Amino acid sequence: MRSIDIHAHSTPQCFQRVVLAGNDWHGMTAADGELFNPRNAWTPDQRIADMDSIGVDIQVVSTNAGFYQYDKDVAATAAICRDCNDEIHQMTMDYPDRLSGLANIPMQDAKAAIAELDRTVHQLGMKGAMIGDQVNGKTYDEPEFLPIWKAAEQMGAVIFIHQGGGTIGTKRQPRYHVRNTIGNPADRAVTFAAFTFGGVMDKCPDLKVVLAHGGGYACFGIGRMDRGWQVRSEAREHINQPPSNYLDKFYYDCLTHSEPALRMLIDSVGIDRVVLGTDWPADMKIDWPVSWVMGLQSLTLEEKEAILWKNLEKMLGL
Amino acid sequence: MRSIDIHAHLTPQCFIRAMRENREWHGVKPGEMGIGPRNSWTPEQRIDDMNSLGVDVHVVSTFSFYYYYERDPQVIMPMHRECNDEVYQMTVDYPDRFKGMAIIPMQDVKLAIGELDRCVNTMGFVGAMIDDHVNGKTYDDPEFLPLWKAAEEMGAVMLVHQQGGRTLVLDRNPNYHLHNTIGNLVDRAVTFASFVFGGVMDACPDLRVCLCHGGGYTCFGAGRMDRGWQVRPEARVNISNPPSSYLNKFYYDCLTHSEPALRMLIDTVGIDKVIFGTDWPADMAIDWPVSWILGLESLTLDEKEAILYKNLENLLGI
Repeated sequence: MRSIDIHAHSTPQCFQRVVLAGNDWHGMTAADGELFNPRNAWTPDQRIADMDSIGVDIQVVSTNAGFYQYDKDVAATAAICRDCNDEIHQMTMDYPDRLSGLANIPMQDAKAAIAELDRTVHQLGMKGAMIGDQVNGKTYDEPEFLPIWKAAEQMGAVIFIHQGGGTIGTKRQPRYHVRNTIGNPADRAVTFAAFTFGGVMDKCPDLKVVLAHGGGYACFGIGRMDRGWQVRSEAREHINQPPSNYLDKFYYDCLTHSEPALRMLIDSVGIDRVVLGTDWPADMKIDWPVSWVMGLQSLTLEEKEAILWKNLEKMLGL
Repeated sequence: MRSIDIHAHLTPQCFIRAMRENREWHGVKPGEMGIGPRNSWTPEQRIDDMNSLGVDVHVVSTFSFYYYYERDPQVIMPMHRECNDEVYQMTVDYPDRFKGMAIIPMQDVKLAIGELDRCVNTMGFVGAMIDDHVNGKTYDDPEFLPLWKAAEEMGAVMLVHQQGGRTLVLDRNPNYHLHNTIGNLVDRAVTFASFVFGGVMDACPDLRVCLCHGGGYTCFGAGRMDRGWQVRPEARVNISNPPSSYLNKFYYDCLTHSEPALRMLIDTVGIDKVIFGTDWPADMAIDWPVSWILGLESLTLDEKEAILYKNLENLLGI
């Protein structure tokens, strides 16, 4: 049995070297790197040793979301992205059997984002890009993003959705880590809705969108979205099918922190759409991800294999 | 079989009369608020519709548009009193068909307690409907504790229901009715979290809180809240048990628009905590609520009876 993790992050060593020497790195400082988590400082060798201990064969490595930096001047963000992506590229060269890559791209400028996606996918062999749920307040139903989706679709690049900065929970309730524990899944449901109600999935039927954190509340909340589509004309502006018809157009990682929630996800979206994602090395990760999936009593062995590696093997050609 | 609906709204006739006569009403100017066709129905027309749906009892709450927490409480207090008096008259005229749920000026906790006391102890109301927040303050704010204590002592139900479309999703994406179809459910999860992580349910163990719209994303998302509680000290400031252990301290209406979601709700919180709520007469209501419940194949007859009337008979003593 193999295991491939699509949701695993890196805090670039090139960033750490500069900021820990007290210098500024493309306008970013040590405070931007979640360096309070000691695992973020680990070298690729230490990462591999940890992957061995938890039974993960391959990580598809993405730079931490703190490095989106979409609110900066596009030239500055593009330079950040290039450095991050070049470092991940080097990791995949050093450990071709263990590490694969997802790019960081400057989403505030579609042309620059497409150029970096093209470079990383076609020249560096990356599998796609990780992006936020929104870009300076704009969601992905905005027409300015359509060229990115078209380009990603043509490249076969995966678009992995993962929040950055504040979630919609942050504004109402800044305490108790609710911005993450409720905010992340809430943001993901809105992103599912923006792609779906905005008509993007109809325009780009082969676009591969992976929603982190199990797609958040998308599958549980789909009944109410369908009801809204039935009774409100503004919900039917771009789509003539109910939103539940689009559930199986997306991919979802298994990071639900709940067996009944994972079971509902599988039953709602189909087992071929659920992939292993752990959020390594964050404190909100699954601690023993392979053991957790293997031990779930409500999943068949075929379902476990599909999640742990078969679906990602097929999607990413790994 | 009996049926008691905890989630049924009223546009007060006193307001409708004022608008028709082109009169300002407690600071609300004619034309400021629209009136849908079913919203203007008289109590007799309401009962006809209840008969057609097979609903025996409405626990009637004034629509959330009338919260007006952002306005001067000295202006809103008389408005709420007039709304509550009208609901009271309905319960006097049709004691077998209507029970009262108050509206109270939450922007002034003393006044809110006073009106709750009047409605519950002199007019026989079962509790009050309140928003998910009061001008941005959530219910973990200590200023609300005297209200929870008072409600607990009175045995009053706090029915939590967002105001119109002003949910957390509105700022992120105002399109496609998402502020309702996703926003209501996000807001309810944040309210669950505010009560729980804020320590209110420990401070008031007998407080009866009912979360509308099935408690939103609460039951599905409890696993991630538990993980946050495990790894983040700020999530443990007020509670020494994981948030999932509080799921069965709340009540939840059955308004999920999804059988699998309702099944998960029952399995997560316990069948004795799920009650009948339809959102009459909104467009997002359950169209044939009694038929819908009776037709659900994944529920036993005992579970259907618990939801349709037995739990609310117990809770409300009716």
